[in-house]
Amino acid sequence: MAAAPIRPDRILRELDELWVSLGKEQESSDGVLRACAMTLIVCTEESAGDVGETLGMLVRDHPARLIVLRLAAGDDPGLKARVLAQCWMPFGRRQQICCEQIEITMTAAGLEGVPPVIRGLTAPDLPVAIWFRSRTLLTSPEFEPVRKMANKLIVDSAGIADLKGQLDLIRGRCGGDTRVADLAWTRLTPWRESVAAIFDDPQRLARLDGLNKVRICYQGAHRPMATCYLPAWFRHALGRPVGIEFQYAGDSPRARLYRLALEGEGLDLSVTVEQNRRAEIHSGQLASHSVFHSLSDYELLREELMVLGHDPVFEAVLNLAPEFA
Amino acid sequence: MTGSNPFQDPIRFQRRVRPCALVIFGANGDLTKRKLIPALYRLAFERRLPPGFSVIGNSRTAMPHETFREKMKEATRQFSEDTEFVDSIWDDFAQGLFYESGDLRDPACYAAIGHRLSEIERTRHSGGNVLFYLSTQPSHYTAVIDGLGGAGLHQGNGWRRVVVEKPFGHDLSSARELDDRIHQVFSEDEVYRIDHYLGKETVQNILAFRFGNGIFEPLWNRGYISNVQITAAESIGVEGRGAYYQEAGALRDMIQNHLLQIMATVAMEPPAVFESNAVRNERAKLLGSIRVLRPEEVAANAVAGQYGPAGVGGQQLAGFRQEEGVRPQANTDTYAAVTFFVDNWRWAGVPFYIRSGKRLAKRVTDIAIHFNDAPHSPFDAAGMDPGAFGSRPNLLILRVQPEEGISLRFLSKQPGSGMTLRPVSMDFKYGSSFGVRSPAAYETLLVDALTGDATLYTRQDMVEASWRAVTPILDAWTATKFDFPNYTAGSWGPAASEAMLNRRGHSWRTP
Repeated sequence: MAAAPIRPDRILRELDELWVSLGKEQESSDGVLRACAMTLIVCTEESAGDVGETLGMLVRDHPARLIVLRLAAGDDPGLKARVLAQCWMPFGRRQQICCEQIEITMTAAGLEGVPPVIRGLTAPDLPVAIWFRSRTLLTSPEFEPVRKMANKLIVDSAGIADLKGQLDLIRGRCGGDTRVADLAWTRLTPWRESVAAIFDDPQRLARLDGLNKVRICYQGAHRPMATCYLPAWFRHALGRPVGIEFQYAGDSPRARLYRLALEGEGLDLSVTVEQNRRAEIHSGQLASHSVFHSLSDYELLREELMVLGHDPVFEAVLNLAPEFA
Repeated sequence: MTGSNPFQDPIRFQRRVRPCALVIFGANGDLTKRKLIPALYRLAFERRLPPGFSVIGNSRTAMPHETFREKMKEATRQFSEDTEFVDSIWDDFAQGLFYESGDLRDPACYAAIGHRLSEIERTRHSGGNVLFYLSTQPSHYTAVIDGLGGAGLHQGNGWRRVVVEKPFGHDLSSARELDDRIHQVFSEDEVYRIDHYLGKETVQNILAFRFGNGIFEPLWNRGYISNVQITAAESIGVEGRGAYYQEAGALRDMIQNHLLQIMATVAMEPPAVFESNAVRNERAKLLGSIRVLRPEEVAANAVAGQYGPAGVGGQQLAGFRQEEGVRPQANTDTYAAVTFFVDNWRWAGVPFYIRSGKRLAKRVTDIAIHFNDAPHSPFDAAGMDPGAFGSRPNLLILRVQPEEGISLRFLSKQPGSGMTLRPVSMDFKYGSSFGVRSPAAYETLLVDALTGDATLYTRQDMVEASWRAVTPILDAWTATKFDFPNYTAGSWGPAASEAMLNRRGHSWRTP
C-alpha cells in the first residue's frame, strides 16, 4: 500500500479496507479473525523490517494493534504512514488470525506532530505499551505526551556502560499510571528463579541468615546492568545489606552475567551460565543442569507484556539499584 | 531464617514444586509413559522441580533402574509434544528415577519402596515428602493402599499424599467401599482423586468467566436460561480398549465423572474465596442437588446407544460388537445421553442435557448455554420478515476442545432494506488471545498434588453424589436388553436422543 499523508481517521479507514480485502482473500477458508488485546507502540530508528520478525512472533502471544514509529534521518516535518497486517494460520486450523500494524515514519523535525496522531490510533479501552528501541524518542521532550499515554514503557539497558545515568533515566520515566520495565531485568528471571528454587528447601532456607557474600561474575568490557539489579534484589529480598563482590570473568562481545555465587555459613551455592546458554546450578552436593533459553527480544517482550500492572519486586529493586551503580 | 522464601516473585515465577519424591504404582503402564513422565520432564525443563526430585516406579516386571530410565527416556522423546529434549536436563532428571519391582500384594514390595524412600530423603533432600500415585488397574487400588498402610509408608517426616485415578468404584457401593479402605490409611485431605478434565485450562476458565465478570452471573439462572447442553463427542471408537470399555460404557466412563464435574462447574454457586475447599464445597453442593431419577423416569430422561458398522470416508469401520475383545452380544452403551435437573432455586426446571459417545460425527467437547427467547419480538408483531433465524435464542458456547474458546451468538440485522435478522457469532479463541502454551492437564494436576492444592481434584462427597445421580440409570440399563446397534458411526447418536429433547421443545445443537 502506498505511503500517504497522515491523519488518524484516514489510517483507520485504511485498516477497515484492509480487513475487507483480507476477508475476501480468505473466502475459500473460514475467513480472518482480528485479534487485539492491547496497543503496542514500537519506537525505532532502524528500518521497520528489522522488528518485523519479532513483532510477527510476539502478536501470537500478545495480539495487539501494532504502531511502529520509525525515526528517519532528514528534516522533513511531514509524517508518512502505511497499514498492513500480521497474520498467521494456527496449526491445523482453517482460519487466519491477524493483527493490525501501522507504520509511521517521521524525522526529528516532525516529532511534535506525532502525539495527536497516536492519540487517535490507540485501540480503545485496552492497555498501551511502548517498546523503546530509540534513545532519541525515549528522551525527546516532544515525545513526552506519547510516553504519558503508556501504561508501560519498555527499555533495554543491555550494552549501556553508564549504569548510573541509565538508572536515573529509567527512574525519571516512572510516574502516574506509567510503569517502566527494563529488559535487562527480564533477562534475570531464570537466574532469580534458580536462586529462589534453591531456597525452597527448608533446610537451606534455615541457613539463609548465614548468607554474607554474593559474588557476581560478569564478562565483557564493562559491568552489565544486572550487576546493579541483582545486588538490589538480594538487599530487597533479605531486608538487610549483604556483601557484594563483582568479579571480571573474561571477555564477551556483549557485557553479560556469567556466574552468581552465594557464600556464607553452611551455604555454598552457585549458578553458572555458559555462552551456549547451558546452565549449571550447584547447591551443596547436588548439581543440576538447565537451559536458560536464548533470550531474544521476542521472549523478553513476551514476559514483560504479561506484567502490565504493578511489579512490586522490580519497583523496589529500581529504588535500591543506584546504590550499586 | 524461617518462614517463606524471600526470593519468591509470584508475578514472574511459575509455581514450583518443593522438595519431595513421587512413587508411581503401575509405572510400566501407558499413563506413566504417555502422560506422567513427559509431564514431569516438562516441569524439569521449566525448572519447576526441585534439584533432588525423585521418582520411584513400581510394577511387577523386574528391571534394573537403568532399563527403566531408558524406557522413560524413549517415552519422553516420543510423547513430549512441544518440549525440546535436552540430554543434560534429562540426565539430571533421570538421576532421580528409580525402579522397584514387586507384587502389589507382597509386603516386601513396600519394604523395598520404603528403603528407597529413606535413601532418597537422606541423599536427595526430599524432606520426607512423598506423593503416591495409583496408576494401576483399579482392582489393585485397595491392595496398594493396604500395602502402604501395612508398611507404615503413609506416615513419615514430611507430608504424604495419594493420587487416585478414576474410576472411583464402578457404582455407589464400590465407591464407598474403596473410600473406606483408603480412609483406613489416609485422611481425606491426603487423598487426591484425579479427574483430568478439571485440569484443562478451559474448564478452569469457566470459573474465571463466571466469577471474574460482572455481566454474566445475573443471567446465570432459570429466569434467563432455557437449557444447558454438554457434549463430549469422540470420532474414534474404543481403540483397543474394548475389553475394558464393554464393562464401563459411556455413562460410567464419561458422564459419571468428567461431565458431571463440568456441569457442577457451570452451575455451582460462587465460592466466597478461590480456595480449594471453598470451590470444592460449592461443586459438591451442586452435585448433591442433582435430582435422582425414579426408576420409572429413566426411560424418558436417559438414552443409551451403541454404534454399528459403517463406511466413513471410504473406510469400513467395525461396529462396537465387532471390536477386538468385545463380546458379540455386548449390551454396552457407547453413547449415553441424560437429562438432569438441579433442585435448587437457581436452576429449578432448567434441563441439563448431557451426552457423550464414541464414533460420533467429530471430536468435540463443549457446553452450550441456551438462553430464553426474547419475551416479545417487535419484528414479528410489525409483520416484518424475521428471517429464517428470527426465532433463534441467544447461545453462549464454552468450547473445551479441540479449539478452546467462548462464543456468543446473537441476532443482527442482515444488511439491506428489509428487517431480516440473522445470527452472528462473537468469538473469543483462547489460543489467539493467549498464544502462550497452555500446560497439559497432567502438568497442572501433578503440580497441584505436589504443592498440596486440591482445588481441581474431586472429593469423596462429590464422587458419591455423582454416583447417586447415575445409579438409577445404570440399574435400569443393566436390566434392559437393548436392541443394539442403534446408531451408525459418524452420526450424532441414536434418534431417541433427539426425541428426548424434543419432548421438552428443545433439540440438540450441532457442535
